[in-house]
Amino acid sequence: MSFRTRLLLLFSLAVIASVGTVEWLISGLTRESFERTETQRVDALVAQFQKEFNRRKEDIVRAVNAIAGSDALATIASSADYSQFVNEAPPLAASHSLDLLELVAADGTIISSAEWFARFGYKENWLTQGEWKKRGAFLKREEVPEGVVLSLVSVGIASVGDQRVFVVGGQILDSSFLSTLVLPAGMRVLLYRNLDAQFSPAQLIDARGTARSAPPLRSLIQQVIRDKSDAVETIGNGPEAETFHASALTGYEDNPLGVLLIGSSRRSLVELETSVRRTGIFVAIGGILLGVVLSLWATARVTRPVHRLADSAGKVAAGNWDTTVDDRSTDEIGQLARAFNRMTRQLVEQRQRLLQAERVAAWRELARRLAHELKNPLFPLQITVENMQRARERYPEQFDEVFREGTATLLAELSNLKQIIGRFSDFAKMPAPEMQPLDFNSVVSETLNLFGAQLAKAQVTAALQLDPHLRPVPADHEQMTRVLRNLVLNAIDAMPQGGTLTIRTTQLPKGGVRLEVSDTGQGLTPEECDRLFTPYYTTKTHGTGLGLAIVQSVISDHHGRISVESQPGKGATFRIELGA
Amino acid sequence: MRNPPILPKPSSPSLPHGRGSVAISEPRPSGSGAPGKAVLLALILTISLVSATRPHYGGTLRVELRESIQSPDPPQVGPGIPDLFSSFNINRWEAGHRAVFTADDNAAAGRPFLDAVEIEMGRTAREQTADLNLGRADIIQIGPGEVPRVQGGRRIWSSSPIRLVALVFDPRVDDTRAREALALAIDRDAIHRVLLQRQGEISGALLPQWLSGYAFLFPAAADLDRARRLAPAGRTMTLAVEDPALRSIADRIVLNARDAGLTLSIVPPSGAADIRLIEARVASSDPARALAGIAAALGLPDPARADTPEALYNSERALLDGNRVIPLFHLPEVYLVSPRVKGSPGISPLGEWRFETLWLEGGRP
Repeated sequence: MSFRTRLLLLFSLAVIASVGTVEWLISGLTRESFERTETQRVDALVAQFQKEFNRRKEDIVRAVNAIAGSDALATIASSADYSQFVNEAPPLAASHSLDLLELVAADGTIISSAEWFARFGYKENWLTQGEWKKRGAFLKREEVPEGVVLSLVSVGIASVGDQRVFVVGGQILDSSFLSTLVLPAGMRVLLYRNLDAQFSPAQLIDARGTARSAPPLRSLIQQVIRDKSDAVETIGNGPEAETFHASALTGYEDNPLGVLLIGSSRRSLVELETSVRRTGIFVAIGGILLGVVLSLWATARVTRPVHRLADSAGKVAAGNWDTTVDDRSTDEIGQLARAFNRMTRQLVEQRQRLLQAERVAAWRELARRLAHELKNPLFPLQITVENMQRARERYPEQFDEVFREGTATLLAELSNLKQIIGRFSDFAKMPAPEMQPLDFNSVVSETLNLFGAQLAKAQVTAALQLDPHLRPVPADHEQMTRVLRNLVLNAIDAMPQGGTLTIRTTQLPKGGVRLEVSDTGQGLTPEECDRLFTPYYTTKTHGTGLGLAIVQSVISDHHGRISVESQPGKGATFRIELGA
Repeated sequence: MRNPPILPKPSSPSLPHGRGSVAISEPRPSGSGAPGKAVLLALILTISLVSATRPHYGGTLRVELRESIQSPDPPQVGPGIPDLFSSFNINRWEAGHRAVFTADDNAAAGRPFLDAVEIEMGRTAREQTADLNLGRADIIQIGPGEVPRVQGGRRIWSSSPIRLVALVFDPRVDDTRAREALALAIDRDAIHRVLLQRQGEISGALLPQWLSGYAFLFPAAADLDRARRLAPAGRTMTLAVEDPALRSIADRIVLNARDAGLTLSIVPPSGAADIRLIEARVASSDPARALAGIAAALGLPDPARADTPEALYNSERALLDGNRVIPLFHLPEVYLVSPRVKGSPGISPLGEWRFETLWLEGGRP
C-alpha cells in the first residue's frame, strides 16, 4: 500500500470518525431534546384532556343540580303520589343532554327513569346510604335495557320540606361520549370499562367503537386496575409506537370501574427524529465526501514532493546520480529535498573521486601486472642475450651452440610475451554477443572433450550432470564456450593434486538455464570470493587475473548472473543463470 | 292497529249486567220530576237548562284516533267507526288516515244533529293534545294512563273496563313452568298504579269484574320467589306487542320476567313470537257471549256452555288453566272531549259511539 493511499485512508478515517462522532452527538442530543419536549407536550395534553374530562364532570353536576332545583322536581318532591311522574325523567334528560336520568324517592324507589323507563318502582338502595351533596360526578355501573354500561353520573337532591327526591343523572361513557371530547391532534382516548370479571377486549373502546389495540394494552390496564394508580407505557415500535397514560376511574365506593387511556402517537416524534437523522446522514455523507476530496488534495499535495523524491531516489539507484529534486519548499519536505540534493551531489563527487581512484588503482594494477607479466619473459631474454654476448667474447667456439640455444629461448619467451599481450588484447576488445538459441548441454560436452588430455594429466575426473529437459536459451556460442573453458581451466588449476570436476545443467522453472561448475580444490575464503571477479586479481602464481573478469563480463552482456560458493578446503562452485 | 272487533255491534244500546257502571265525568241532568214547588222549580230550571243546551243542527265533529285502521273498506262491525253507520253515511275513506261521514237524513232514529263526522287516524298523543287545544279536534282517543296528565279540566268519556290486556302464548310454547313463572313474575300492581295511573282494573280473569262478578277469584298478585323457582334456567322467549300503546307495559313485563330469571326480548309484531301482548274487547254485556268472544279473539277453545255464574266461572277457569293466556288488566275506552261538544255522552258503557245525539256549540278558536 502506497504512502499516498495510507495517508488518504488515514485522512478519510479521521474525517469519517469526526463526522460520525459529531453526527452521533447531535443525533443523541436532538433525540434527548425531542424526547423531553415530547414528554412535556404529552403531559400538557394529558392535563388538558383531564381538564376537559373534569369539565364534563362539572357539566353533568351542573345539569343534575339544575334538574334538582327545577320547578318540576319541586312539584314531584312535594307530591304525595309519585306514580303520576313516571314520564318526567325522559324529557328532563333530553332537555339537559343527559343519557341517564333517574328520579328516585327518598326511600330509594325509582319514580321515573329515562334510561330504562320500565324500572319505575325498583329500588336504588345505594342512594340512601351515601352523602351526595359535595361528591361531584363519579363512575357508576349502570344497567340499561341493552345491558350494562359504564356511566359518569352525579347525584342531586330536590328537597321540599321534609320530602326529598334524588336526581341521578349522567352520561354513558361510550364511544359517543369519547367522540365529543376535544382532543389535540395526534392523540386519542380509549376507555376500558371494567364491567366484566375478567379482562375483556370488547370493553376497550375508542371514539369509533371497540378498539382494536386491546391485547397490547392488557397488562397496562390490569396494572392500573390492580394498583388504582396512574401508569405510563409505550406500546409498539417505530412510527407506530404510542405512549399511553392510563388513569384509573373509580366509582363512588372507590372501586376501579374504568381505565382512561390517553394515547399519544409517537409518529411525529419518530418522523422528526428520522428526518433529523436522515439530514444528519446526508450532511455526514457530504462531509465525508468533502473530507475525502480534501484528503485527496492534501495527500496529493503532501505526497507529490515525496513521490518526486522517491522517483529521484530510484534514478539514483539506477545510476543516475546527478538527479536533483525541487527544493524550493520551506517545509520539512523542502528540507528533505535539499538534503537529497546535497546527498546526490556528494554521491556524484564521491563517485567521481572513487572512479578516479579506481582508475588510478586499475592503472597501477595494470602496470603491476604488465610489469610482472612482462618482467618474467624479459629476464630470460636478458640472461640469454647476456649469455650469448659472453659466449661471443669469451667462448667463441661455443657461441654457435649457445646462439642456437639462446635464439630458441628468445623465441620461446617472445612467444610467451606475444601470448600475454594477446590475452590483454582479448580482454580489451570483448565483442557484443550474437544471440542465438544455444543448447548448453552440447556446449558443455564439446568443451569438455577439448580438455580430455589435460584432465587426465592433472588427474582430474570429470562428472557431467546434464538436465535432459534443458531447453535452448539465447546466447553467444563462442563467448559461452570461452566462459566454460575459463571455468574448467580455473577448476583444473584449483586442483593441483587432482580431484573431481563436476558440471551440472538445470532447467529453471521460468525458462532459464542454470550452469554449475564445481571443483574439489582448496576452496576460497570469503574475501577471495568478493574479489574473484575483479580484473587482474588472481590467487594463482601464474595467470593474468583476467579469466574470471572476462567470464563476468560475458555473463553480464547476456543479462545473466554469476556467483561463486565456496568454503576453504571444500572446493568451489561457480553458478551461472541465464534467461531467468 | 287494534284487534278487529270480536262481536257484532248490538242492534241497540243495552245496559250492562253485573256491577259494572259507565264512568262518565260529565254530570248527567236528572230527568226525574218532583211535586209542588219543587216540581215547578225543577221544571223552570229544566226548561231554562234545556233552552240553554238546546241542540242545534250543523257542524262537523272532528275525532282523532290513535289507532290506524288499514282495511281497504271501513269496518262494518265492532265498536267505534262501525257505530256511525246507523246515523251517518260514509263519504270518504282513506285507509289508515281519514274517514268522513255525513249525516243520514233518513236514519231510522232520525237525522243526527251533526252534519258530518271527520275521523283522523294514526295521530300521536302530542298531535292529539295540540289539536284539541287548538280546536282542530273535538274528541281525541287517549290511553288510560294519560288521563291525569292530559285531562286539564276537560271532560272525559270513559267506558266500562272492556279492553282485556293479556299475554297469549304461542301454542308451540309447551313449557308450563315457564308460562306459570311469567304469570307469577308480572307485577300488575306497579303497572296499574304507574303506567295506567290506576285506570281500569287489575285482573287475572278474562271477563271483567263488573261483567262476571267473580273476576277477583282469579289470582293476579305477583309471587317473584315462586316464579324464580319455576323459571327454567336460561329460558329465552320473544314477546310481540300488537299495539304500540302497550309497549311500555311490555317493557315492564320484560323487566319483571328478568327478575324471575326469564329472558324476554321484544320483537316486531309481524314476526313469529312466543308470546303476544294483545288486547281483546268485551263486545257483549252478556257474560257468556263476552267470554266466548274473548276466547275466540285470544285463540282459546270455545268455552263450555254456562247458564249459571258457577258454570261460567268453571268455564273461564278451564280456559285459563295452563296459563296459555295471562290476563293482566281490563281497561276502559277513554276519550277527551272538547267543551264545544254537547249532548249526552258519546260512548256507551261498552265503548260504542253514540254521536247521533251530539251537537257542537260555539266557533272554533
